[in-house]
Amino acid sequence: MNASSTLLNYVVFLPMAFALLLLLLPGNEKGQIRFATLLGMLVNLVTGIWAFAAFKPGGPEFQLEYRLSWLSDLGISYHLGVDGLAVALVLLTAVLGPLVVLSSWRFVEERVKEFHVCLLILQTAMMGALCSLDVMLFYIFFEAMLIPMYFLIGVFGSEERQKAALKFFLYTLVGSLLMLLALLWVFFLSGPEGTRSFDYAALYNSLMDANREVSLCMQNNAHCSNLSATAAALLQWGPWMFGAFALAFAIKVPMFPVHTWLPDAHVQAPVAGSMVLAGVLLKMGTFGFWRYAMPLFPAQAWAYQNVLVALSLIGIVYGALMCLAQKDIKKLIAYSSVSHMGFCMLGMLTFQAEGTMGAAYQMLNHGVSTGALFLLFGMLYERRHLRNMADYGGIAKAMPIFTVFFIIITFSSIAVPGTNGFVGEFLVLLGTFKSNLPMWAGILATTGVIFGAAYMLWVVQRVFFGPVTQQANASLKDINFREFVTALPLVLLVFFMGLRPQPILEVLSPSVERYVARVHQARPNPEAKTLSPQREKEALWMHVSALPPPQPLHVQQVDDSQPLLANNQPGERP
Amino acid sequence: MEKLFPEYPFPLQTLENGLWLIIALPLLGAFINGVFGKALSRKSVHWVACASVGGSFLLSLLVIWALGSASAFVPNPFSSDTARYALSADYGTWFSAGGFKVNFGLLADRLSASMLLVITGVGFLIHLYSTSYMEHDKGYAKYFCFLNLFVAMMLTLVLADSLVLLFVGWEGVGLCSYLLIGFWYDDNAKAWAGRKAFITNRIGDFGFLVASFLLVLLVAAAVKEAPQGTPATSYRFSVGLHEKGPLAFQSLSALATTLVAQDSSLEPSENVPPLFIHRHIETGPLKGYSYAGVMTVVLLFFLLGAAGKSAQLPLYVWLPDAMAGPTPVSALIHAATMVTAGVYLFCRISYLVVLSPFAMATIAVVGCLTALIAALIAFAQDDIKKILAYSTVSQLGFMFMGIGCGLFWAAFLHVVTHAFFKACMFLGAGSVMHGNGDETNIKRLGGLRKEMPWTAWTFLIGTLAITGIVPLSGFFSKDAILFGLETQQLADVHVLHTLYYLGLVAAACTAFYMVRLYVLTFEGQRSPLAKLPHAHESAWPMTLPLGVLAVLSIVAILHGFPYLLPAPNASPNQTLMEFYLTPVFGLANRIGFHAQTLLGNGLDKASWESLLWTGWLKAWLIALASGGISAFLYLKLWRGERKFPAILEPLRRFAQNKFFVDELYELLFIERAKGLAKGLYRYIDAFLVDRVAVHGTAQTVGFVGKVLCWFQNGNVQAYASAIALALAVGLTYALLQVLS
Repeated sequence: MNASSTLLNYVVFLPMAFALLLLLLPGNEKGQIRFATLLGMLVNLVTGIWAFAAFKPGGPEFQLEYRLSWLSDLGISYHLGVDGLAVALVLLTAVLGPLVVLSSWRFVEERVKEFHVCLLILQTAMMGALCSLDVMLFYIFFEAMLIPMYFLIGVFGSEERQKAALKFFLYTLVGSLLMLLALLWVFFLSGPEGTRSFDYAALYNSLMDANREVSLCMQNNAHCSNLSATAAALLQWGPWMFGAFALAFAIKVPMFPVHTWLPDAHVQAPVAGSMVLAGVLLKMGTFGFWRYAMPLFPAQAWAYQNVLVALSLIGIVYGALMCLAQKDIKKLIAYSSVSHMGFCMLGMLTFQAEGTMGAAYQMLNHGVSTGALFLLFGMLYERRHLRNMADYGGIAKAMPIFTVFFIIITFSSIAVPGTNGFVGEFLVLLGTFKSNLPMWAGILATTGVIFGAAYMLWVVQRVFFGPVTQQANASLKDINFREFVTALPLVLLVFFMGLRPQPILEVLSPSVERYVARVHQARPNPEAKTLSPQREKEALWMHVSALPPPQPLHVQQVDDSQPLLANNQPGERP
Repeated sequence: MEKLFPEYPFPLQTLENGLWLIIALPLLGAFINGVFGKALSRKSVHWVACASVGGSFLLSLLVIWALGSASAFVPNPFSSDTARYALSADYGTWFSAGGFKVNFGLLADRLSASMLLVITGVGFLIHLYSTSYMEHDKGYAKYFCFLNLFVAMMLTLVLADSLVLLFVGWEGVGLCSYLLIGFWYDDNAKAWAGRKAFITNRIGDFGFLVASFLLVLLVAAAVKEAPQGTPATSYRFSVGLHEKGPLAFQSLSALATTLVAQDSSLEPSENVPPLFIHRHIETGPLKGYSYAGVMTVVLLFFLLGAAGKSAQLPLYVWLPDAMAGPTPVSALIHAATMVTAGVYLFCRISYLVVLSPFAMATIAVVGCLTALIAALIAFAQDDIKKILAYSTVSQLGFMFMGIGCGLFWAAFLHVVTHAFFKACMFLGAGSVMHGNGDETNIKRLGGLRKEMPWTAWTFLIGTLAITGIVPLSGFFSKDAILFGLETQQLADVHVLHTLYYLGLVAAACTAFYMVRLYVLTFEGQRSPLAKLPHAHESAWPMTLPLGVLAVLSIVAILHGFPYLLPAPNASPNQTLMEFYLTPVFGLANRIGFHAQTLLGNGLDKASWESLLWTGWLKAWLIALASGGISAFLYLKLWRGERKFPAILEPLRRFAQNKFFVDELYELLFIERAKGLAKGLYRYIDAFLVDRVAVHGTAQTVGFVGKVLCWFQNGNVQAYASAIALALAVGLTYALLQVLS
């Protein structure tokens, strides 16, 4: 079916098209602007669902591929495609889109047009980063996300918005510039001139042999004597390149100790900004680790596993402890993100199927739960414009439906079974125990279960329970229909993802399998192979459609019913 | 006993397929009341709530009827065993990843079915009671929504066929307990109590999770390393793993069988027979530890989990505070059902428990200390609900002692009887509060027997039952546990006998404070400090459950009576309960029986089945004497001024303040954690990371920029003078070089 081969273009660029449409509307037609944006996001949601439905878990690794030559002299092409994780994150992004617009329906009254244009461009950038199969294209989208986000925080935020926006911008830029440097380096390493390409699969495949050599050498010095030039360079400079990638993504995640931009950004950002930031932007960090840092540098990933695990564990426990010291609710939710994303990182760093699956699922969960927390708190903030817990109390009396929603999301956030959080957290912790990490790491991570309950219930207690201490809180209106409709999808998702996770897990599963196999090729102690040799071979090499002959501006459509390479089909799933 | 009822006449398959309905009915009730509750009239609300639980009760009756039939059996997908007298249903995968899988699978054997009856039966009575007790409350629909949700979660807990699904119920009941303790949330103290309960439970859940993860590793290791011919190495086991995942109970029972298999690769030694369990793990993350050691650790983590849920040392502190909730909630959740989940868990995995004598001894010690400490605290309390709460903690301690000495049936019998008499007393306390303007201080009550005869008589029956007076149910259940302590042997660990005497003390204390509670509340004269001049007896929806529960408290003794069984295949002095639960505890008993020969340590079969009347008599006399003394003291039969001896006053104060355990925890853990969080935030996060590292970098960059600015200020004269200066320095240097 050829419709699906161009689908990702719509997924990525429809929001942008609506942004252009918005520019044509007069700035004082706030209602029209909002409706147009909502429409754009809804159309985007439809395409997102379509993409998710069109993705076949048993099919080739990258599906819905679309490819166009672009800047081919520089080795760059316009190449889109999704694997299981990417398509799941695309769906998450698409689901959050309309809710973000609805959440700011009344919140933003000034510069409405600019605000919505920013939202739509941000949506395009995020979708683009998720769908790119060209590393340079990814980088462009990755950086492009910063700009609308900068404006969302810096223009539409609260009192100290400028400072927070600048901090956010510089912090992330530092990391990604270093990554750009490393990326160029990898590009030049990847082969002789003329054959180099920024195409993700090509880059990965060209490094695979060198990575094998490097990992053998790192295990045993005897193998170090006749390394190829690429491998020698990787051996020497690999840690730096990996470090640059890791730093860029660690800042986005954010991992301890490069997390301090997050509380500031969240506190100052408007509801929409916080939702997108927590819901999708942070996942770019974990997604980056998953897609780029780990598979491109597996030997280094193993070598620095302990460091990254230590930082993730610190993130889990430290983030939770930070929450206990906060008075500002948004700051608290921000720190809880540090803790939750610590679980994501930990799961991925187990390099093991259950943990990695948990990490992938936890990414989606965090998007839903923390996105919902910011959304719900935004409703309260819109009414009172206060962020401190002490300013609230007894809200449950005035706003019962709101309270029910908030408590459901709270329980999802602390991973009560039956909600989405449990499945992800359980798998991450199980993976940690099953992995090569020491037992105490798993036990320490499991204490996060206790801390999570402690701080989230503390918030619920201080905000919703107890007597009404301030008169203004007694007369608050419960959520209206628009707010109800905004929050309901997330609440339903919490239960759906908690009780029927299997359809999503099945989409994620091939990606998980490949990620684990790719990292495992450099495992120092190959005691446990997770896959049979045949399936491992299938999982290790990346197959994408071949680059079309360079015919500028001519759209070459890929027919994905016909595998281009004979061994393009991974084995049947059990 | 099978002869008493006709064979179950309907197709078993239908019942198996419909097992989910038992959970779904209360869930549906919770949904209706939760979503549409505000629009419904009170009558509809309680009709929905009671009918859903009542429906579950009827279904549970069907289940227990079907479980009398020999054709109800479940083949174990992991081994060649079958679970006799059991029903099962599997509704597909919940989630799977890598080699791990969890199904929505339900298992009803005689253990879970007995629990089903208790939960839905007592649950129905308490729903009925609540219709009157909560009559005037604003959150009527919300209350019944939570209560129904609780019942559904508790049913999930007992019907689950894997540890993970059990954990759903486990956390679910904790959640409902949180919601119901803080039901009157505008009172800060009550909301705090709910939060305290949830977090304390979470500490236990942490233990539960760690234990489950370790079990997954243990199963994986056993599959790789077990000797040939054991269940874990069979093809069937791998199929089972693929179908149901490693944490299904059937997998764990196959694991237990595997672990006690003979292992020829081990050197036979004198005190450690060559069993697989003594081998060291060779592969995987647990490399280097022995199976037995890991199993002990697993059980200790489960003990932490059970201690959280079942309010044992050191995590019992939440239960007395949980009395902040409505009284029917205390009766259902904090006496009859949820708090017994820990005991149920150990019964469910009894075949693993018997693998580690050390863990069993620890369970018994924890139970015993809890029973004793809670009983001592109960002595000095004046709040009717607090006394009952501490008595619940204490009775749960007894159940743990039962688990610890391997008498699972006795521990479980105590769960059942305790559910009856404690629910009866809690509801009685609720009735007292209802009729006395919510007065809970027993010193301000008194003489209620005349005004509230139903409440008083049923409460008396409950009191006598918990004390263990002969024709009442507490007698056999409690005393069987004490008897077990006296006669059982955990060969390596000689604690049970000491515990027996401590247990006797705890039993004596129980009798004393319970009689004190009854006498001060119902006998004597009405206190002049009472809130209302006259009490009034409660309406029938409240007294009827009291009556039913009181009758059950008496009748339940039949379950504990030995020499009652006509069945030909039963041992001569097995009790009815023991016989009834044989299919459930069979494997544990086999492992325990053969312990002497197999494990080299474990339970002594010889004393297991011989019930001695003298043992029962001793415990009974002690309880009777202690209760008698208490009655004598508090009935004021003895004229004259009753004064508390001055020497004991500090001790009483100490007990009244609950031995300052709460304060100790506050000081040791909560304050420490808060301080740590504040300190880390202030010094690490805000100062070191943000101020020094992040802003420091920014400022360094700024500073360097400023310095460099100075060099390119655009002033030609400055540039010229710099050039001149440099030239001069260079020339001087050159000159010096030339000259030297």
